[in-house]
Amino acid sequence: MINALEAVGDAISDEFAISLAVSALVLGLFVSYLIWRVTHRLFEWTGLDSTVEGTTFERAAGRFGTSTAGVVGLLFAVSAYAVILLFALNLVRVAEASGFWSGVARLMPQLVVAIVAIIVGVILGDKSRLVVQERLRSVKLPEAAVIPELVKYSIYYIAALVALAQVGVATTALLVLLAAYAFGVVVLAAVAFQDLLAAGAAGVYLLLNEPYSIGDEVRIDDRHGIVQEMTMFATHIEDNGEEYIVPNQQVLRSGVVRVRN
Amino acid sequence: MSGMQVVVEEFLEGADAVLVFTTDGSTYGRFEDEDRPVVVVATENAVGADTFVALPLDFDSTTDRVRFGIEGALDGGIVGEGDDVVGFTQTFDESRLDTIVRVRADEFTRTGLYDLFVNSRADAQVIRDVFDVVIELGKKGQKGKPVGALFVVGDAGKVMNKSRPLSYNPFEKSHVHVGDPIVNVMLKEFSRLDGAFVISDGGKIVSAYRYLEPGASGVDIPKGLGTRHMAGGAITRDTNAVAIVLSESDGMVRAFKAGELILELDPEAY
Repeated sequence: MINALEAVGDAISDEFAISLAVSALVLGLFVSYLIWRVTHRLFEWTGLDSTVEGTTFERAAGRFGTSTAGVVGLLFAVSAYAVILLFALNLVRVAEASGFWSGVARLMPQLVVAIVAIIVGVILGDKSRLVVQERLRSVKLPEAAVIPELVKYSIYYIAALVALAQVGVATTALLVLLAAYAFGVVVLAAVAFQDLLAAGAAGVYLLLNEPYSIGDEVRIDDRHGIVQEMTMFATHIEDNGEEYIVPNQQVLRSGVVRVRN
Repeated sequence: MSGMQVVVEEFLEGADAVLVFTTDGSTYGRFEDEDRPVVVVATENAVGADTFVALPLDFDSTTDRVRFGIEGALDGGIVGEGDDVVGFTQTFDESRLDTIVRVRADEFTRTGLYDLFVNSRADAQVIRDVFDVVIELGKKGQKGKPVGALFVVGDAGKVMNKSRPLSYNPFEKSHVHVGDPIVNVMLKEFSRLDGAFVISDGGKIVSAYRYLEPGASGVDIPKGLGTRHMAGGAITRDTNAVAIVLSESDGMVRAFKAGELILELDPEAY
């Protein structure tokens, strides 16, 4: 594209090139403003404005008298104007196309994507922390407070990784670390939740087909009584003041005897 | 002026605990340097008080509210049997404190009102949700006509064994719980069916259209109440369930536990 620009620059006269460059700069101002406005509008329409509300990034932006929409809009507008500036400089041949500036031009989109990735990562991380915190609010366990933070920093880490990869920094070591972390989480979850998963799967079958329901007299293994409650994970059977809570996978594995008189 | 102050001071003197019925932080703040134990009684602990009794309903009657608060405080060991309790509550205004009452904690026989919500088999939240449905049903009726309904909450297995279906159970293989958003409408529609609703400890609607068959001997409910109340009262004597009944004739909501009438309230007041 730069070469094509040079060809255009060679073909036209210097005066025309200068006037073209100036009008491009003026037009660029307008286009940048338009981009800034459109970003604001998009934030409003898509409801992103209310989504980012209350996050650290939004509050930090607010301290500088702007908002997330403002920062993103400004980023887009500035990068658009920088592209137009480069185009104009090339036209009047102030900057040599093959030199430093062409490198900047090539790096520009990657840089923008990297910054956007970081902003999205920061907002997403913060938002996820808030959502997880809200979900865990009823859990009055001090240890549970570490989970929202963990979620936040995991998302930060991934965002940073995306940004670094965009600008061409070697991220292989970090990627290996991420893979190890993800693997650890998945394996731990699989080990920790295997009983719950099995009970849940069995529970889906039991709830959908209802081979027995509340009020039926049943026997599971050596536990005999009246079904009091059926949930996703367990079946409650009561007999003479003793309530057995049988995990659903055990119900499915050992089968149920329905006692009919 | 001073004479009145003396009266008020004498009124408050020697009280062992203070009940404050408020959700307002600044109102609660005035009681902060009180050396007697201060118990906040409200539907939610909005002021972050240490000793708190949760009201399951926004009781309209001051008596019910104070009674519930004292029973809750007694249960939590904050107040002893012979203690004098001063309560700051509302009688007319809904947000501002306008009434001071002084009662001995053992002045009235414990009605089991607190027990009904907190120590029943079913979760307190489930009983609360059923009350909400019944009160709404009592207020609006079915298509503007007064409607009666009978909900048996908790101990569903035993209740199912002491009843028989009148027709097909519309809730078979459905897994709806009271408190789910759409359920109020469903229950309203089904309330024109005959028979009782059976709800499990966890709030699952087990069945509608149930004909209850408890032994009615020894059930002591006020004369003049009909068969619906009798059936509801009797099933709670035979099982550990709670029955919440909406009367078709006088529109009152009544709750039974262990065969006794525990609570009576007018849905129009909520």
